Amino acid sequence: MKRRPVSTDFEQEALPHLSALYAAAMRMTRNEKDAEDLVQDTLLRAYRFFDTFQAGTNCKAWLFRILTNVFCNHYRERERERGAMIEAESSTANLEQFVGGTGDNRDTETALLGRMVSTDVEKALAAVPSDFRMAVILADLEDFSYKEIAEIMDCPAGTVMSRLFRGRKILQNLLHDYAVEQGIIQADASQAPAETVDLAAYRRRREETS
Amino acid sequence: MSCAELRTSLQAYVDRELDGVDREVVERHLIECSGCARQVHLQGRFKAAVRAHLRRPALPAGFEQRMRQSLVVQPIAPRRWPWLSYPRLVPALAAAAVLIGVTGTIRQTQSRVLEQAQRSYHAEMPMDITGSDCGSIASWFRGRVDFPVHAPLLGAGATCQGGRLVNVGERPAAYLVYRVQTGHRVALLVFDPQDQPLEAPEHRTINGRQVYVESGPGISTAAYRDRGLGYVVTADLDEGELTRLVTAAFQR
Repeated sequence: MKRRPVSTDFEQEALPHLSALYAAAMRMTRNEKDAEDLVQDTLLRAYRFFDTFQAGTNCKAWLFRILTNVFCNHYRERERERGAMIEAESSTANLEQFVGGTGDNRDTETALLGRMVSTDVEKALAAVPSDFRMAVILADLEDFSYKEIAEIMDCPAGTVMSRLFRGRKILQNLLHDYAVEQGIIQADASQAPAETVDLAAYRRRREETS
Repeated sequence: MSCAELRTSLQAYVDRELDGVDREVVERHLIECSGCARQVHLQGRFKAAVRAHLRRPALPAGFEQRMRQSLVVQPIAPRRWPWLSYPRLVPALAAAAVLIGVTGTIRQTQSRVLEQAQRSYHAEMPMDITGSDCGSIASWFRGRVDFPVHAPLLGAGATCQGGRLVNVGERPAAYLVYRVQTGHRVALLVFDPQDQPLEAPEHRTINGRQVYVESGPGISTAAYRDRGLGYVVTADLDEGELTRLVTAAFQR
């Protein structure tokens, strides 16, 4: 068995990504203790297998691959499994409601997402099923390409695209329902699609995560 | 090309994943189709707005420090008796030895590996392999550590729970978790003791073997050598109960 490389190399390569890893771990596990354990476990594994990491390649993607793997093997079963209703494909609200139509900044502020607070958006993301949530985190918050996400999540690029597409749709649905619940917008029966998000299930999850 | 056919391409376009001909096809469509152009615009704004809300949380206090510590960074293995190369120190140490002889209470720093075993016990990290069959857990380590791993029997009614690959110093080592008859969790660290002194200040002789014992808050640790390997047993038991478990391991 090979001897471990010098630890300073590892520290220089891996530790700059600590806050990205922790942010993703928090959003995947939804609590500080598990997030810290997940990052620690990821780092220990990365350190152990650092001789398999090719210097000069994307260390952040490599670490996220390990994190995803550890999460799936050890943390996912701790999640309270969500109802199938959440997987509604059609959005309850049209996108215009979220971001406004005309495109200037003032418009965004008055639009739905401008009027929601970040903790509401965090809660909505936390309620997205884990595979879809991971795809959204990797693409929209950490700027990984489809190809990198495919390697991180160990799935074909087509699967990445569908997870990302559905993940964003589910997030829109949850945000919309949350906004209705909070009285930020009025429920509009004419826009309600055939499939709706199970609001009771969402409230339960929100209580669990808060 | 129809709007429906372009549905997935539009998303890839928003995510800046298209280039060359694929990109041109979409851009040509967007010029002609105000509906899709609007969707692209809104999707981009949705992404940006969500991102603006979801900033990275601050790291908890001491987080980076804890991560560094957990890596057990020991680039150079400590020499066993480094002070022997400093002759001037020897008379001073001899004097200290006399003092220890007189008072008998001066504690040395405990061995690193015992300290590590106690930390691992408290951390309760997830297992790499789980199962109740000690034999298959022990054989899982084959090829992963540089020595054969045998899981000793820790008394009647003790069952294995799982195993985890860990580092002791810079070498891979086996960490096994048992549940003993009384319901207590017992952890066993098996490692190559080369360069890793496992001596602790207190020791007992059990079945002709030296067993070093050390008590921390709420837990006890016992360390011994067997056929060239180092073993550290940690549990939330007192020293007497732990010693009985180790004795059982020797009577195999």
